[in-house]
Amino acid sequence: MSDFLKPASVAAFIALVILAPSLQELLTEEAYEYVDDNDSSHDGLPMEWEKKQVICVFFPADPPHDGFSTGVTMIDADGIELGVNQNLNRTGACVGGFEGYSRGLDFMMDSTRSARGALSVGYDVGQLGHYVHTIGGLNADAMTGDFNGAYWNLDHNGAISLVGIGDLVMSEGDVISWSIATW
Amino acid sequence: MYDFHNVALSQNQSLLLNVAILSIIVISLIRSERSLRDQSQWGMLVLLAVFGVSGRILLDPIPNVQPVTVLVLLAGAYFGAPRALALAATIALASNVIFLGHGPWTLFQAIGWGAIGLAGAILSNRIIVGDRIRIGLLAIIAAASGLAFNWFVSLSILFETGSSMLVPYLLNGLVFDLYHAAGNVVFVAWLASPLGEMMARHRSSSAFEAVIEGASN
Repeated sequence: MSDFLKPASVAAFIALVILAPSLQELLTEEAYEYVDDNDSSHDGLPMEWEKKQVICVFFPADPPHDGFSTGVTMIDADGIELGVNQNLNRTGACVGGFEGYSRGLDFMMDSTRSARGALSVGYDVGQLGHYVHTIGGLNADAMTGDFNGAYWNLDHNGAISLVGIGDLVMSEGDVISWSIATW
Repeated sequence: MYDFHNVALSQNQSLLLNVAILSIIVISLIRSERSLRDQSQWGMLVLLAVFGVSGRILLDPIPNVQPVTVLVLLAGAYFGAPRALALAATIALASNVIFLGHGPWTLFQAIGWGAIGLAGAILSNRIIVGDRIRIGLLAIIAAASGLAFNWFVSLSILFETGSSMLVPYLLNGLVFDLYHAAGNVVFVAWLASPLGEMMARHRSSSAFEAVIEGASN
């Protein structure tokens, strides 16, 4: 047994080393399916948005957004400003109180419209699907600084979204949020 | 002044260096074991602890591959649960304090490895038949122990996060767990027989000695 196991165990180990990266990618994807932090993704949002769908857009400190330069402004589905949360250590706006959306793109276009142009969205449709380049006048592609490039990053219920907004399937109570990320 | 210790090694180079150091330690330990005359297993346990601590620290560049799990499993089978528990806790504490980082997880590791030692003690009669180790069975137990150990230690994240993160955390770490299981099988294949022979020489159980005596006569 030992004579067979010696080469076999080494071969199995080498196979694992080779397969590990793609296996890890697969498992990470699967793991995100189980990330269920709906409760915490509603933290800091108005109580009446509990179990409702919410979109948040966070702007960088530089350049700041004209209308949302301090704290996070909470805007109701009807476009009514509910208040500003100064304790989130971020700047931007959240629009919430929606229900019944299942397609991410529909939700994003409808909800940002409630902010009356302050969060208008610009996107291209390419081979990889919908690519959002501009939100609220900030075009990520045009940003410059100490980085190679910037893009609008999509989070779904507090975890990074595995699919683009065009493929995102939403459930009741979901929170999606956009923020600038760089590489 | 020149800093002769400031040599940048690539990851593979430092792994190679560590494996070389570990080989020196293992060869020295094997030599030392031969000079252990008494039938008491304490000298042997100290040597095993040195091997466990150095193996764990030096093999750190390979994720989750270290000889400790197989060591405590064998120690349990040959020396019984209490000594295996002491060995497990000593190795976990010493290697974490010296190098790898000491925190709440050390307790989980000590308990996890201790439980593996206990399993070795309980399954002793199945693992050791006559004066031989059943390598195939030991490999299966070692692989299962690796997975169980990792999942148990993962519970320490509950100190920092809610239980809802546990399933994604475990799933995301599965490759890491497989490294532990596969590494254990490699250690069993290559090291279990020589280690078992050494341990058998320092096993003070009278029943076992009688078997050895009988065999040598």
